[in-house]
Amino acid sequence: MFPGIEPLNPLLLPAQKLTLGCPVLDRLLRGGLPVGSVTEIAGESAAGKTQLCLQLLLAALLPPSRGGLSAASLFIHSEFPFPIRRLHALSSSSSAADPLGHIFVAAAHSPDDLLSLLATADGLLARPPTHLPVRLIVVDSIAALFRSDFDNNPKDLKKRSFLFFKIAAKLKEQARRFGSVAVVTNQVVDVVGSEEGANGQRVGNYASLWSSGRRVCPALGLSWANCVNTRLFLSRKDEIADDAGSSRTRRWMQVVFAPHLPEASCEFVIVREGVSGIEPQRVAGR
Amino acid sequence: MSETSRFRSLEGGHGALKGAQTAWDMLSEEQMQKHITTGCEELDAILGGGIHCKEVTEVGGVPGIGKTQLGIQLAVNVQIPVECGGLGGKAIYIDTEGSFMVERAHQIAEGCISDLLDNTAHRLKDFPACPEILQPNSFLANIFYFRICSYTEQIATINYLEKFLEEQKDVKIIVVDSITFHFRQDFDDLALRTRVLGGMSLKLMRFAKKYSLAVVLLNQVTTKFVEGSFHLTLALGDTWSHACTNRIILYWNGNDRHAYIDKSPSLRSATAPFLITGKVYEVTRVI
Repeated sequence: MFPGIEPLNPLLLPAQKLTLGCPVLDRLLRGGLPVGSVTEIAGESAAGKTQLCLQLLLAALLPPSRGGLSAASLFIHSEFPFPIRRLHALSSSSSAADPLGHIFVAAAHSPDDLLSLLATADGLLARPPTHLPVRLIVVDSIAALFRSDFDNNPKDLKKRSFLFFKIAAKLKEQARRFGSVAVVTNQVVDVVGSEEGANGQRVGNYASLWSSGRRVCPALGLSWANCVNTRLFLSRKDEIADDAGSSRTRRWMQVVFAPHLPEASCEFVIVREGVSGIEPQRVAGR
Repeated sequence: MSETSRFRSLEGGHGALKGAQTAWDMLSEEQMQKHITTGCEELDAILGGGIHCKEVTEVGGVPGIGKTQLGIQLAVNVQIPVECGGLGGKAIYIDTEGSFMVERAHQIAEGCISDLLDNTAHRLKDFPACPEILQPNSFLANIFYFRICSYTEQIATINYLEKFLEEQKDVKIIVVDSITFHFRQDFDDLALRTRVLGGMSLKLMRFAKKYSLAVVLLNQVTTKFVEGSFHLTLALGDTWSHACTNRIILYWNGNDRHAYIDKSPSLRSATAPFLITGKVYEVTRVI
């Protein structure tokens, strides 16, 4: 059944990374997102998760010499509508020929939808329709798939948990088999009460995560947290910029946990050209 | 006496050399006392020297607490040369989740080597092979890595180890990272799952004893709804708990990482703090 079981020398493991399209953010992540691995990007609405994903779709098309994978991508979305206009605007500065022709988009409305799409994706990965292999799979977002189907009782939570592990195992198997990068975005929920509840259990480098002045944690609980290799958290904070009362939005990316990265964070902005990290400077506070 | 009958006398202890043992017996007895250092003095102390060979140790904790870091650290530390007080052995690393990152293993190997050069320089000066062996890439090459993508692959791999260990006598640790990930999906037949897990744990215990090696099983934690509230427990705890000789739980104590011995036949319950630094597991400074 497994005729090929044989140990591997770790030095032969693929060590490629996919650039985030920004050298400052790449430095935070020591090169970018690793292949053969599942990276989660968690954050509240409008934190920049989808923006970052669109940027990754285009980055995948770049050659390895520029941090890309010379590859096409599959974008599975459960949030609607798909931001086609923003993608089109970003693609105009892509150096690849016909970027939009190498990005495959599919919609998922339920966990079963996602599982059957991933099963179909095996064919896409094994026999790519264009001359480029598919080496990036994005699911945006995992949380939206589980919003309505499940209640908060132990039995449903158990059923939900089974699906997390099935989905994660599939994504990891594909990432390993095809040397691809898997990215999953996730929403956040408010953390209320003490650290005792299932929601308050500390996971990762930070005792608490904050966004827009609220204490939050990535959705789908401890179960789902066990399913991803790397967890990144995007946060935002609206600040009064000066005495005139004008406000601006500040944003951060934090490494919550990763097998290869220490605790670290980086401020970033979202501009017309995309998501861009801000070089850290020695400033007082924060 | 012929050559063969003399050899048999030595083995069975019969005849003229009763009570003698073979050199293999002596070596394995010596290895009975061996431990693999975790790289953290305080953690080693509460473990009675380190991770024990001939035993199965489970290490559990939440994501990001440092289970994989400890697993890789042990796969490196098992290779510390005998001249420096280590086992000079090799490692098997069974990666079921894709957490093993070569760049991190390389850092950890570098850290271990630089510690050896700093602390045991006096022992190494008479050790001529030193420069070739004390290279991060040599350490990585001594880790037999398996990547598992399903529970059936996991079973097949552990079965494969039966023969592999017969041929690779240098292996002194098997790390499974993590043991339960592929068993946390829905199983149509829960009895099958229990049988499979039971069979796997028996095999691993047998490997530990037969080949005098350490088996380290990294495990996830889950929340169990008991009497109206959620409690943290190790994944598949009920089906698995009997299989391990020792259990270590890694957890957050405020902003610090701690480890405590949850189960052990010989050690009393104790806690130790640890740090994950750029290179190794380290003990925190005691204030």
